Amino acid sequence: MVVLFILIPFVLLLVLNLPFKFLNARIAFWLSVVLFSTQALFVLINSLFAWSNYPAVLGQFLIFKLWLDPLAFIMLFTIAIVVLVSLLVARSTITTEKRSFNFINLLLVALTGMNATVLVADIFSLYVFVEITAVAVFVLMAIEKNKFAIEGTFKYLVLSMFASVFILTSIAFFILACGDLSFSEIHNAFLANSNIILLNFAIGLFLCGLFIKCGVVPFHGWVPDAYSEAQSAVSVLLAGIVTKITGIYVLMRLFSSVFVLKGSFHNLIMLIGVISIVFAALAAFRQDNIKRMLSYSSISQVGYIVLAIGCGTPLAILGAILHFFNHAIFKSLLFVNAAALEKKFGSTDMSIITGLGSQLPVTSVTSLVGLLSTAGIPPLSGFWSKLIIIIALFNAQQFTYGWIALLASVLTLAYFLFMERNIFLIKTETAPEGSDGVPFGIKFCEILLAAITIGVGLGFPFILNSQILQLKGLLY
Amino acid sequence: MNPDTFELFRYFIIFIILLFISGVYCVLVSFNLVRALIGVEILIKAVTLLIILAGYICDRVALAQAIVLTLIVIEIVIMVVAGGVVLWAFKYNKTIDPRRLSNLRG
Repeated sequence: MVVLFILIPFVLLLVLNLPFKFLNARIAFWLSVVLFSTQALFVLINSLFAWSNYPAVLGQFLIFKLWLDPLAFIMLFTIAIVVLVSLLVARSTITTEKRSFNFINLLLVALTGMNATVLVADIFSLYVFVEITAVAVFVLMAIEKNKFAIEGTFKYLVLSMFASVFILTSIAFFILACGDLSFSEIHNAFLANSNIILLNFAIGLFLCGLFIKCGVVPFHGWVPDAYSEAQSAVSVLLAGIVTKITGIYVLMRLFSSVFVLKGSFHNLIMLIGVISIVFAALAAFRQDNIKRMLSYSSISQVGYIVLAIGCGTPLAILGAILHFFNHAIFKSLLFVNAAALEKKFGSTDMSIITGLGSQLPVTSVTSLVGLLSTAGIPPLSGFWSKLIIIIALFNAQQFTYGWIALLASVLTLAYFLFMERNIFLIKTETAPEGSDGVPFGIKFCEILLAAITIGVGLGFPFILNSQILQLKGLLY
Repeated sequence: MNPDTFELFRYFIIFIILLFISGVYCVLVSFNLVRALIGVEILIKAVTLLIILAGYICDRVALAQAIVLTLIVIEIVIMVVAGGVVLWAFKYNKTIDPRRLSNLRG
């Protein structure tokens, strides 16, 4: 039954493109809203074991095997939420009928790709679905055809192709070393300790590819351009979920439960994580465009996740998963805020919209929630995940990295408060009475995401017992 | 995997390495977006040959065959999208020289 997560979006995509007159953007929009919210609700309601115990009738026609575990469940939920938000934002920012129909189709392709990426159980299928997602996103980024968007797309495309070359070469070495590509066989090859030089070489190449896909600091050149020049709805999708699934999730899955690593790889990953945290936080100060600042902040937060994955203890992986979820939620929230500002004032340049943010009450309150959560201020969700990561680092005797991670939170708070003061807190003129001109879809997304951020933060002790500790048993 | 394998496939391996070098050279040296794409294409071809070789050595020809066929399809899809992007870049900037395409700062 797990295969339905892949098949239903795919069938919907086919149905929408049948040559009937009544299949317009409006119907496509509502069908997709139903699909995305169904996915989120199913994940919330069903327990894990109810899903995995179904007889997999449909699955036998596939050449790849699927697996489902609590990690995949959290990913599916995150994907559903962010894709839904992106769709709602697109409804008010993409105005042409034809373009919005294309947007929905490509969004369905991306959803299929991401769901499959989360569920597959061998490296080559993983690569295939990562690539499907990436292709859909390339076209989405270029959907608004201006020269900046095209250039950002080209950068992402070429770097992503290099990442593909690295990953494919490493797949060839995995075939040489293990003879098979399924996760279990590779894990067995690591346990059997045979061909260890080839395996390490393959891991090294795979890491190079993944670092490009994650956009961590030495390979971050494409991230700010891609995030800031894409259409607002697309940058929500891209920053919120796509780079995380195609980069971070793959890293998390492979390095927590498939590969068995030696210390030097742990140190390398942690070093890359720390460099990203500090460098991107410092670079964020110099940005004068909100979307670029958010992009750098995104690199910096991804650094925390990479750092925790590199640490590798079960607690650290738990922190990484939590921070993944929280970051996807609050970064989408901040990008939705940027979309609202862009929709209202036609620009995201801070020098142009200084002080105008106070005209948008919902946006200014929710952006405050988002940025405090990013910086890790106590009752909000970002605090708990950062806390777990830092505790895990101290437990693993990594005191230097722990302190750097702790102090870099202050940098995050600093550049976000700078942005908040510039845009929302200075009052240049009194707000006009009545409606503030932000479309309902965007307001709904802002409130939904802020509610999740606050809810996860306040309810964390309850969620910890009922949901999150289940995760720990699975990771070894 | 024994030393005889390398003896047997010596020319095959040398050819793969040459392809890799020419692909990297093509990407690094040329100031032309289309040539950069061609360079990446050569690199992917080299990897495809490497996968075939790996499958043959490990006696997993069927697996390698499935992978290579899928790979070719994916590669074509990406190349089509990339070609479209280059075409639009040319339409706006009237050039495909990446040195003159620096609207963004990175």
